[in-house]
Amino acid sequence: MIDTASIMNILADTQLLSLFTSAAFIIVGLYGAIFLDNIIKKIIGIAFIEEGANLFILTLGYKQGGVIPIFLPGMNAEWFAANSAYPLPQALVLTTIVIGASVLAVMLAIAMVLYKKHGTLSASEIFGDKKIISRNKNSTSKNRGSNNFDDVGDANE
Amino acid sequence: MNELIALMVIIPIACALLLNLFHKKDNTVKIIAIVVAIVLPLIPILANFGLHYFGGHAPLITNPSLLEKVPETIANSSLAIFHPAVTYSYEAIQKVFIFFLGIVAFFAIFTSLSQNKKISGVLMFLMFMGTAAVTALLLSDDIFHMYIFFEIAALTQVGIILTSKTDNNYETAFKYLILGAIGAPMLLVGIGFVLGIVGSVNITDIVYAISQNLVYPFSHSLLIAFGLIFFGWLYVSGLPPFHTIKANVYSQALPNAAALLQVFTVITFIAFGITIFRIFSYLPFFKTLVLIFALLAMILGITMAIMQTDFRKMIGFLAVGELGYIGLGFGLGTELSITAGLFQGINEIIVTALLFIGFGTVLYLTKTSDTRKLGGMIEHTPKLAIMILIGGLAMAGVPPLNGFQSKLMIVQAALDSGFPEIAIIAVLISIVTFMVFVKAFHSIYLKPKPNNLKVLNKPVPNSSIIAITVLLILCIVLGLFPQLVTDSISQFAMGLI
Repeated sequence: MIDTASIMNILADTQLLSLFTSAAFIIVGLYGAIFLDNIIKKIIGIAFIEEGANLFILTLGYKQGGVIPIFLPGMNAEWFAANSAYPLPQALVLTTIVIGASVLAVMLAIAMVLYKKHGTLSASEIFGDKKIISRNKNSTSKNRGSNNFDDVGDANE
Repeated sequence: MNELIALMVIIPIACALLLNLFHKKDNTVKIIAIVVAIVLPLIPILANFGLHYFGGHAPLITNPSLLEKVPETIANSSLAIFHPAVTYSYEAIQKVFIFFLGIVAFFAIFTSLSQNKKISGVLMFLMFMGTAAVTALLLSDDIFHMYIFFEIAALTQVGIILTSKTDNNYETAFKYLILGAIGAPMLLVGIGFVLGIVGSVNITDIVYAISQNLVYPFSHSLLIAFGLIFFGWLYVSGLPPFHTIKANVYSQALPNAAALLQVFTVITFIAFGITIFRIFSYLPFFKTLVLIFALLAMILGITMAIMQTDFRKMIGFLAVGELGYIGLGFGLGTELSITAGLFQGINEIIVTALLFIGFGTVLYLTKTSDTRKLGGMIEHTPKLAIMILIGGLAMAGVPPLNGFQSKLMIVQAALDSGFPEIAIIAVLISIVTFMVFVKAFHSIYLKPKPNNLKVLNKPVPNSSIIAITVLLILCIVLGLFPQLVTDSISQFAMGLI
């Protein structure tokens, strides 16, 4: 049989695991957004970062052995205050999910336009100058990984 | 009339939604937009100072009858002092900034409506929504609320770039979104750390918890939170390393829209700057860090501005450089420096808007913003050229204009704080700003007109002339009577310290 202490330990580990998962999401997302060349993969990376941030905040409201933060009739207020999970992070995450979805929608819409305009999803080809484009066309796909935004800014001139 | 505090945000949002609804009904869009744009600067004048609670819950301690009903564990804890509702705080500083935001928003909307043959309800929606978002940023005493409204402001900025239909607007918008989607979650995670430590996202509560040692001020978690929020601040403000993309954003928008976009940036920078200063200024390295990035912004901004041949990009980089002066105010951290920095913020809002709208007339007449292809424009618009020249001198800090007053205060503050080297850099950057502007002015107006330059044979729109004239008058008035705004700002700065 599993005793209460063991369950508490598992729950505590769950929170820790959740925090590690959120960190992993953010790191994987950052890698995708910065280093991958395909703009759709960049957007997926961004989605990972946003979800990692959301998971992090959601995990903050977790209370070991706590109850759902809904005050029901007949509940003792003192007991509820001491045992309910913290509801604020849940409310905040709902808002960030909406904002994140909006940002992703706009990014995907722009990605569609960029694909129609340039005929490619490669960030280095879309944002690079002619030299970069010709170099990329002549090179193997291995050389397509770099994406320097500072160069891009000047190249747009 | 404390209800007006909430209406400062609600009215432009409601107007934005209506305008989107009436897209393609030109006259309706025009009437609604102009009426609301006139109302925007008037509301802060009419509103009383005070607090507004969304949700209607003041802190428990202010309501004894309610305090009796809650469990003792809450009533006797700091939770009774905390703010359970989203709180809007309206004071003299907000009044000044929202007023000037309203003025620039009005002129941006007014010039946009009068110059575009086809009125876009969508563009108007974006302008009003952005204005509402930055107003909320100024009013909000809730750091998460600020994050949300910053995201809305960022999306509206992207939208404004997309409506401009310039050559690379989609590319710039996408890059801005990608960088934003990396910077903004860092800010969010930083806010999450603060929430996890303090248990509240209300800024007053966070400051209270730290100052009363309810949380350990030098805990690793708070330091990580500071790092992440500071990084987010760099992104939202367009400070290095995000200065290039911010200047690109300005250059891709239409001039009147760019005038509004730079106001969004300045106000976002100031709103988050004040917040970070309130929460983290106790950290021993805080001021040094802010000073470093402020100086970097000034140096990189001006260096990039020198190299530009597109006057829109040049103004964009100059605007980024000018942000550094505001940063110096926070970095020096004295009452005088913060007053000077915030005053500089107001001046930047006015002067940069003037330059964007002013040089926008050149774009309107010639369809080019490349200074290499321009010249001799003084023959076509001599009076306007003089007004733009005075505006540029105001940005460079030439007396007796407003830029001179704020920059002089910053130099004085640096000397008073024992940083003569910062004062010297500030003066040098001002001189280089002057040179950059004069070079651009010469290229556009004074050098011989190129043979292949085609200038439209029609007058500059009256809306632009009115906007430039009023903004120039503001520059001169604030230059001669800086106490009109500095009195309010210095009271706030005193309270901040």
